Amino acid sequence: MDRDILYGIRIVDFTRVLAGPYATRILGDFGAEIIKVQSKKGASGAEDNSEASFTTWNRNKLSITLDMSYPEAREFALKLTAISDVIIENFSPRVMSNWGLSYEELREVREDVIMVSMSGMGQTGPWKDFVAFGPTIQSLGGITFLTSYDKGSPIGLGYSYVDTIAGLYCAFAVLAALEYRDKTGLGQFIDLSEYEAACTLIGPALLDLTVNQREITPQGNKSYYIPAAPYGCYQCLGDDRWCVIAVFNEVEWNNLRDVMGDPPWAREDKFSTMSNRKMHESELDGYIEKWTIKHTAEEIVQRLQEAHVSSGVVQDAEDLANDPHLLARDFFGEIKHPLLGTIKTDTCPITLKDSGKGPWKASPLLGEDNYYVYGELLGLSEDTIRSCMSKGIIA
Amino acid sequence: MSERVIGVGDKGSAKREKKGLLTEIRVLDLSDEKGSFCSKLLADMGAYVIKVEKPGGNSSRMIGPFWGGSPHPERSLSFFYNNTNKFGITLNLECDAGRELLAQLISKTDVVVESFPPGYLDTLGLGFDALSEINPRLIMASITGFGQTGPRKDFKSCDLVASAFGGQIAISGSPSLPPIKPFGEQSYFAASLFAAVGILLALQGRARNGKSEHIDISLQEAAISTLDHVMIRYFHEHVITKRQGNRHWNDFFSILPCKDGFIHLTPFQYWETLVEWLDSEGMARDLHEEKWRDEGYRIEHADHVIEVLQEWTMTHTAHELFELGQLMRFPWAPIHSPEEVLASPQLKSRGFFVHCEGPEVPSMLKYPGLPYTFGTLFSSPCKPAPLIGEDNANVYQRELGLQDEDLASLSSAGVI
Repeated sequence: MDRDILYGIRIVDFTRVLAGPYATRILGDFGAEIIKVQSKKGASGAEDNSEASFTTWNRNKLSITLDMSYPEAREFALKLTAISDVIIENFSPRVMSNWGLSYEELREVREDVIMVSMSGMGQTGPWKDFVAFGPTIQSLGGITFLTSYDKGSPIGLGYSYVDTIAGLYCAFAVLAALEYRDKTGLGQFIDLSEYEAACTLIGPALLDLTVNQREITPQGNKSYYIPAAPYGCYQCLGDDRWCVIAVFNEVEWNNLRDVMGDPPWAREDKFSTMSNRKMHESELDGYIEKWTIKHTAEEIVQRLQEAHVSSGVVQDAEDLANDPHLLARDFFGEIKHPLLGTIKTDTCPITLKDSGKGPWKASPLLGEDNYYVYGELLGLSEDTIRSCMSKGIIA
Repeated sequence: MSERVIGVGDKGSAKREKKGLLTEIRVLDLSDEKGSFCSKLLADMGAYVIKVEKPGGNSSRMIGPFWGGSPHPERSLSFFYNNTNKFGITLNLECDAGRELLAQLISKTDVVVESFPPGYLDTLGLGFDALSEINPRLIMASITGFGQTGPRKDFKSCDLVASAFGGQIAISGSPSLPPIKPFGEQSYFAASLFAAVGILLALQGRARNGKSEHIDISLQEAAISTLDHVMIRYFHEHVITKRQGNRHWNDFFSILPCKDGFIHLTPFQYWETLVEWLDSEGMARDLHEEKWRDEGYRIEHADHVIEVLQEWTMTHTAHELFELGQLMRFPWAPIHSPEEVLASPQLKSRGFFVHCEGPEVPSMLKYPGLPYTFGTLFSSPCKPAPLIGEDNANVYQRELGLQDEDLASLSSAGVI
């Protein structure tokens, strides 16, 4: 079972919103015990336990409440650290050390602890305290500029892509540190910068710039790295329906021509080779779209794929939810939530052979696991827990 | 094989030699551009990665951009980037002698990364079942367009197709223009990250149960997994997200022009501070009126808010707005071009860019490094991508014990 893999690994999770919770969700999906540290004060917006996004990013986790503004809270955090393998946080730099929970302090109670601090800019540097979110990090990292039709009107991605990417880097770093600890007995402090994670996503363009010293401008849907024509997004029959087509060689071009019914324009000299087609690209795209607009995207893609031409349907959320291929692969799953009923969600795209995904636990309610964590794990009496609750420390 | 010492990048102050976290992991990379970044992630962390290419070189060497501009298999900058810290051998898997050599390497390998069409390796007798019989502790990650199963598994894919079927394209771009694909090979990066995480998970599993594992990664599913709000809004509110230019889905962020560029800002957050700022420069127009204090009203009349803000942003440089805004805790950022990324004082101060030293690499080449530092240990990309067959002698002789004359005859027979 997937959930046996990290069984016994305990992670204290101070992270919020998306990038951090995505990292711990992956580790939780594979059986790590994720103890999410929340507080009544902080449980709003994306951290409101009954919000759809919270339930999506926090499945398979436990929740405790701990108000770190009380000095007593630090003691509990340290006790928890002493019995945990990994601590992950994504506050602004300073916050953990203000609470007396810096890596050096955590190490005093757990020598081989692995601590990850993930923040927008990283723990050092002139911008370390800058406030950042996924969309603005994408802007700083160059991918917003490059994902545009031209340099005069930046567009960017319609979603916080880099939050997931940073979450993946975080999960990767944690697992690498565990691997290293298993071999050497040594822990680790990991300083992860989401800004730097974004910059790794345009690596070839940055190399191009440094070595060829040419201006790199946004190209819309044009193929930047590989000669391909036609290549792009074409409108199809229906309300705002689109397909993509990518032709990388002459065999594929001939096959595309056949599927289109061998129109006379496609036999013209100016489309006879890749370089000719690149040279007359906009005219070519116009012809292609005159054909695609008469058919549904699904029909075009089916026919082109049968002819071994790369093509795809531009799928929206509804298409994805009903995609027969994804359904056959059980990509979406269901989780029973005590407040929200049965909710649908994406599973993890890491599919292991012969190993079913799940069973999965719904995201926790606020402080749902206080008695288990403070009582069973830390050995506090029920009375002590109750009194901490009424004082507002465990709250 | 002696331990490999890597990491002489310029991250951190002192130039110290450090070992990576994955030093003892041995990887064979049979993949093309879809999976190269996966084994790069492992290699940059210290794993010993041998890239196995067909004689003449992997097809991904013909993907641009190219050093100097013209296509050349030893000058692909995509290949440079995606293959740092790897060793390279050539091997023809489509002949018996080649398969025999691969089998010998497999017995000394922890991890195989491959990206052939589903079933191709099986036809060569080198599928997961056959390889895990040779090495019962083998972990194999397969990265393909649509995964190893399902009705679309044999469809042809590339980043454009994966991004379309994966839902990334539909939600990006202007409503009045065609949807737009994320720049660069993003489905390959995302899939490679998932695969690398899967490999380390499988290594943890293997340490417990001693068994082999086959990891199935689909570019389409990797792309969908990055969609943030999209599936949540559909499953919970039945909302189908559409592309809406540079305005964020929840209207929280907009991109506005400045004197010299563009600023990504939040038009509705910390409203009073924002209006005070505009007012102090005589640019607030009617925004200080009471009715604008109501957030609902602001969102309803967003066009007016944006119009007034834009008149103001046009009187400043993007950098001014960025630095001043950050002083007031506004989470704003300029839209940076690749030139500005390279010049970033933050990235410079953290030593993010690293040099790869090697005779075949231009000396001014700077690589984005790792997005994390490790307190006591780290590895930085510092060995350039291998040349075609660069490590043939080393690997075949030292690892498999072949002699000079064996190599010569394998080479002339087109095996290596």
